[in-house]
Amino acid sequence: MRPASSALDALRARIAEIEHRPAFGGRGAIAAAGAEARNAARLGSESSEGRAANPLPELPGGLVHEIFTDQLRHGGLALGFALGLGGQQLMPQRPALVHVQLVGDGQELGLPYAPGLRRFGVEPRQMVLVRAHSMAEWLWAVEEAIACRAVAGVLAEVSGAPKALDFTASRRLSLRAEASGTSVYLIRYGTGRESSAARLRWHVEPVLSGEVHWDRSAPGLPRFSIHIEKQRLGAGIGAGAEPRQLLLDWRENHGFTPLDSARRLGGRAVPGPGHAASSPRPHAAALGDRLSQAS
Amino acid sequence: MRLAAVDRRAAEAGLMPGHALADARALVPDLELREIDHDWLAASFADFADWHSNASPIVAVVEDIHRYGDLGLDIFGVAHLFGGEQAMLEMLTGRLSRLGYAVKGAIAPSLGAAWALAHFAPGTIVPNGGEATALAELPVAGLRLDEGRLAQLEQLGLKQIGQLYHRDRKALAARFGAILVTRLDQALGRVTEKLTPRLPAFEASAERRFAEPIGYIDDVIMAMTDLAVELGHTLGSEGLGAQAFHLLLYRVDHKLMRLSVNAARATREPGHIAELFRHRAERLEGEYDPGFGIDMIRLTASSLAPLDSRQLGAFAMADGAEDLDRLFDRMTSRLGPQAVLRPRLVNSHVPEQAVLLEPAVAGRPADPLAELPHGLDRPVRLLPNPEPVEVIAEVPHGPPMRMVWRRIAYRVMKAAGPERIEAEWWESGRNLELLLPPRLEAPSSEPAKPGRGSAEAPHISALAPFRPEASVRDYFVVEDDGGRRFWVFRIGLYVEGVAPCWFLHGIFA
Repeated sequence: MRPASSALDALRARIAEIEHRPAFGGRGAIAAAGAEARNAARLGSESSEGRAANPLPELPGGLVHEIFTDQLRHGGLALGFALGLGGQQLMPQRPALVHVQLVGDGQELGLPYAPGLRRFGVEPRQMVLVRAHSMAEWLWAVEEAIACRAVAGVLAEVSGAPKALDFTASRRLSLRAEASGTSVYLIRYGTGRESSAARLRWHVEPVLSGEVHWDRSAPGLPRFSIHIEKQRLGAGIGAGAEPRQLLLDWRENHGFTPLDSARRLGGRAVPGPGHAASSPRPHAAALGDRLSQAS
Repeated sequence: MRLAAVDRRAAEAGLMPGHALADARALVPDLELREIDHDWLAASFADFADWHSNASPIVAVVEDIHRYGDLGLDIFGVAHLFGGEQAMLEMLTGRLSRLGYAVKGAIAPSLGAAWALAHFAPGTIVPNGGEATALAELPVAGLRLDEGRLAQLEQLGLKQIGQLYHRDRKALAARFGAILVTRLDQALGRVTEKLTPRLPAFEASAERRFAEPIGYIDDVIMAMTDLAVELGHTLGSEGLGAQAFHLLLYRVDHKLMRLSVNAARATREPGHIAELFRHRAERLEGEYDPGFGIDMIRLTASSLAPLDSRQLGAFAMADGAEDLDRLFDRMTSRLGPQAVLRPRLVNSHVPEQAVLLEPAVAGRPADPLAELPHGLDRPVRLLPNPEPVEVIAEVPHGPPMRMVWRRIAYRVMKAAGPERIEAEWWESGRNLELLLPPRLEAPSSEPAKPGRGSAEAPHISALAPFRPEASVRDYFVVEDDGGRRFWVFRIGLYVEGVAPCWFLHGIFA
């Protein structure tokens, strides 16, 4: 078995190289990361005060993520999740996150607020806000930021589904991101899904936060209900290997901490992931996945 | 109504500036009349003056008598480039009269003397020390005095400048004001008079003249790229770099177009400079108008700073800061300086004043006092203008139980607060700047208040502080039954019987 699988891995690596995909550690590495995440999830549920581990696999740079949320008023949530992911990419050689937004969306969605970014491990000076006047400028700014090797991540958001951001554009962004190693987090709103070349598609929904020990009536830590709609991290890694549905708390200094979703659901009337799952599933998603795989 | 100016044909018909309009109409019944627009003329003349910077770096509009019409050029050390003073004067006046302008000119060691000669003895060139003789015969109007003083001088029979030379200066000053003595001294070169150049002085420049005028922006860009290389060499040989670059385009029809770009850190790399201008040119849209063509372009640099050559490779540390600055330069030149912003913490508790968004190219060090105390919950997004919230059920002094925001009703399940935010004590004379937000359609039309923060205002206009109604805000973190977390506040203290105003200011993750 062993030689066969290593031969397969070698072949996969070769195909990945031909397809200009980022070099992953092959199946073994990602599967291990997944297992670790599951272990961490179990650990986290058993001892809530225990050492929290990142439930998400260690994601390399240079990926295009799509972060979807249903409504514009959940923009804070989507931005928080993107910051949580993007903050991990910050390092001394890549000291900046670039946020790109259309000028018209500023009031509707709100601007990233520097003192609030701290909680997600992003210092105010590490954030750059770019305000584009049109989709053409928006795409240009995103591409330009991706090309810069000092940028850790580009948080690009747009309300609605502009025509300019089609499959060709996302393929372009994805190629450039892979070439430079800069991660891209496209923050999108609504239930419609178009085909895209993004490697990962997250669906983020709000969920009632946990309790605070000293004040029962106060909102707790930021909590995210996350559904991984699409995951194309490399050859052969996909359905079943990863938990597709996650319930995460964001803890300062610890990052994303998983919650035992079953217990939450069984407990009091707290809308858990089941609530999120009952929200309308996008129809176009499957098609989009296939299209992007065909590319 | 009087005639302010006449053209050649009108002058031949016997009209003169100063004629009453009715008289002029009687003389020439089919007279064409235009109302004079001084502002437009002054602006056009200023453009016209700028264009003359192709002859001398120091060009100014002499505004002592009229706002337009008198152009001063400091040609010290320049004339030899044009083949001497005589040739330069002929070239400057000749090229204008060929374009159909009535022009008079003179060269003298002092601005006052040149002004007088240009008006009353055009074409004269006076060598150093010759002012007194040259001016002696000219009328006193050559001294740039107002009409009242001129009339007084006439009455006393002082008609020529020469007549004033040997008068008692104190008596002259007492009767006509100190200005007369000053003007006399200026004309005779006893007092130096400086021209204030209209364009900033450039510390390094490279220029190219074209035998045939060019028009396409692509051609301009190509020529500019060459000039960037030339300028880069000039700066490099002196170990300098520059932060501001200006591209001056001189049109054949005496207009000047000016493009400027800024770099976050001093540079002299031709590729980078050229790229900034290329991005800037893409943002021109309707602005670019070459008219009948451009016959000269000049690339200049200002804000010079020492920039030593650096060794690349081997021990170079890639900390990314330089790449980042380059990125900001490129984005700023294409999207505009207000489009690429970095937050800077300001020492204030008022949420919208605690962060200043400043252009990324004008990076300033962080304020160490501006650290927010730990443990305060701040949202991840802030609305530039707080939006009014309709509160349906509320507890006195407490958070809202139900609220309507953007026409959607929310049932508040959890809330934390209040966090009371007041204006700082040293600002207590002023109320906390607050008012109903301006209309959403035109957030930019809200004029920036002269308050702190907006004074140094490279700020998004909509984030400008708003007007005062009350000095206190009570902030609450609320969570609705769907798990959405918002930052809402009430203006002022709770007063029984008065409906309080609630606003939504931020959105939490």
